[in-house]
Amino acid sequence: MIHFRIIFALVLLSLIGSKEALATPLSDEQMLALLKKVDDRQRNNGDYKTIAYVQQKEKDKNDRVFQMVIYRRDEDDKLILLFLKPKSEAGKGYLRLDKNLFLYDPSTGKWDRRTERERIGGTDSRRADFDESRLAEEYTPSYIAEERLGKFSVHRMKLKARPKADVAYPIVEAWIDQATGNLLKLQQFALSGKLMRTTYYPKWKKKFSESKGAMVYFPQEIRIFDEIQKGNRTTVVLKNVDFRALDKNMFTKAWLESKSR
Amino acid sequence: MGIYVLIAYRNLVQAKRRTLLLGLALASVTMLLVMLLSWSSGISETMVRSATALSSGHVNVGGFYKSTPSDTAPLVVDVAQVRTAVEKHAKNVDYIITRQRGWARLVSDSGSIQTGIGGIDIRADRRFLEVVQLSAESEYLDDGRRQIIGNIDDLAKDNRVLLFVKQAKQLGVQVGDQLTVTIETLTGQTNSVDVTVAAVAQDVGLLSGWNIYMSETSVRKIYDLSDTAAGVIMVYLKDISEANQAMKTIGLGLEKDGYKVMEHDPNPFWAKFDTVIAEDWVGQKLDLTTWRDEVNFLTWILRAIDSVSFLLISILVVIISIGIMNAMWISVRERTNEIGTVRALGMAKNRVLTLFMTEALLLGFASTLLGATLGAILSLAIDALQLVVPSRAVQIMLMSDTLHFSVSISTVIGSTIAFTVIVGLAAIWPAYRASQLQPVTAINHVG
Repeated sequence: MIHFRIIFALVLLSLIGSKEALATPLSDEQMLALLKKVDDRQRNNGDYKTIAYVQQKEKDKNDRVFQMVIYRRDEDDKLILLFLKPKSEAGKGYLRLDKNLFLYDPSTGKWDRRTERERIGGTDSRRADFDESRLAEEYTPSYIAEERLGKFSVHRMKLKARPKADVAYPIVEAWIDQATGNLLKLQQFALSGKLMRTTYYPKWKKKFSESKGAMVYFPQEIRIFDEIQKGNRTTVVLKNVDFRALDKNMFTKAWLESKSR
Repeated sequence: MGIYVLIAYRNLVQAKRRTLLLGLALASVTMLLVMLLSWSSGISETMVRSATALSSGHVNVGGFYKSTPSDTAPLVVDVAQVRTAVEKHAKNVDYIITRQRGWARLVSDSGSIQTGIGGIDIRADRRFLEVVQLSAESEYLDDGRRQIIGNIDDLAKDNRVLLFVKQAKQLGVQVGDQLTVTIETLTGQTNSVDVTVAAVAQDVGLLSGWNIYMSETSVRKIYDLSDTAAGVIMVYLKDISEANQAMKTIGLGLEKDGYKVMEHDPNPFWAKFDTVIAEDWVGQKLDLTTWRDEVNFLTWILRAIDSVSFLLISILVVIISIGIMNAMWISVRERTNEIGTVRALGMAKNRVLTLFMTEALLLGFASTLLGATLGAILSLAIDALQLVVPSRAVQIMLMSDTLHFSVSISTVIGSTIAFTVIVGLAAIWPAYRASQLQPVTAINHVG
């Protein structure tokens, strides 16, 4: 009996050992390179335009759906989120200029300065969800494990916000597809370590950008789950992605105001 | 003068029916005025009581700290030094406390609310302990026990929260249940902790619906704040009526000490975020307010009640004045022959005027004194009965779930004098006309 137990323990240990041996942890440099790759694949050196449909489901409340158009000029870190629908929100818009985010409300004709972590339209989505990816710039990675996420083999990494990084979640865990480098899942944690939000990127698409001279990858769908208030979730669908150059002078308050006149 | 009063009294008794009707009308209006004033005063008292317990000192030394131009936090840094400076400059102080201020999302298994979060030192917060009363479990829980569960002193422990009945109902929780508090730290990062409901208190009007309370240390930890920062320094004075002057004195003193003090803006601190965010500065600026500033979004209720009272009383005053004038005209008409006779016997014009004025003032004074006294008694009785306001909306407006009337002797005396003067003014013209009658015309008057 004792022999059997020893043999069983040895087999178990060897199994654990072999599983660990399977995992190939990336070095700090490799992780940073991978994050840069994730960022670079999504970055377009020129302009970017897409239509976004945002659906917010909240427990015991009616679903809310917004249609927005997103304009980005990654070169200058400029961003516009312009609400198109519903009618009550049409004309409202966010403008990001030099790390300042402003909200324009056509019903009052006023501009308000907002924080970089603004929840867009009161949903679980935030400005960063629509902006260019800056994982390598904002976080320091550490390796957790090589895992399988559904049918994908992924690198699971823990990302800690760099000092002075203007991010909503100081700790993030990321699941990155080993084969493609696509970001598949993010879990975002509070300072206390409590899980706040899980974000899935189930569909990625690529499109050739002339300004970049290469393919640009973008998530076609983003699913955000509120982990504190279970049942609340936001789905973002991005359509009609366009990399053609935008009007030079459109990232201004005047331009955004003109859209609601 | 005694003879005038005697004649006036006899005349009033002679015209018994008219005197009674007029007297009753005058007494009713005065009673109504006293009750309306007592009601308004009661609401005002409730407002002061709840505001100075839940969200404000008599004078508040708060402030905003901006680490970047686009961020702002309602914070006083180096709070110990600022507090020492406040203690140096403030006069007639009862006591001073510090509190943490924040804004949180509170999530339970069945719901969530957005709420203000106050970090208090329960042992030092005397007014909070005076005003906030724990509620019986049956008030927030179906099939709950008719006894108080929980202990307010547990608020001194880490990650314990005090809710009010309305919030406990919204969240579907009871004492001992877990809630999740989620906030955004001053650097914009999300933080979240699980807390336990330590106690559920009775609602304190509108204000209690917007605040939950935890220990100062817990709020500091959630916000990742150092020991040197606090939300606000709350100064309680021996006399609340000195709040404005005290605020000015403290403000000037702080400026002299080199602190940057914001221009006085009579609004609560949370209404200033947009303004402060839009301003291009970084660092600390102190913001001084009085309790009235911190609840000025509620004073419209008082203004509305006072406006309606004023309108109502004005209409009634006009009606009463017309009634008095009319009654005096009738009296003059009925006694024209009498006036002619006394004038023929040598009574001077001004004495006739005095006679009629005395009659009106005597009626006015007696009726209004009776009305004011009745109004005061009735107000005190209603207040003592603690009548429950049935509508939730009205409870919120009145900031209390029971009707509260506050009667003061000055209200009774003031109302009596005011209405007696109004009656006197209404009587001047008929009395003057009576005094101007020619004796011959008056004696020959038929009618």
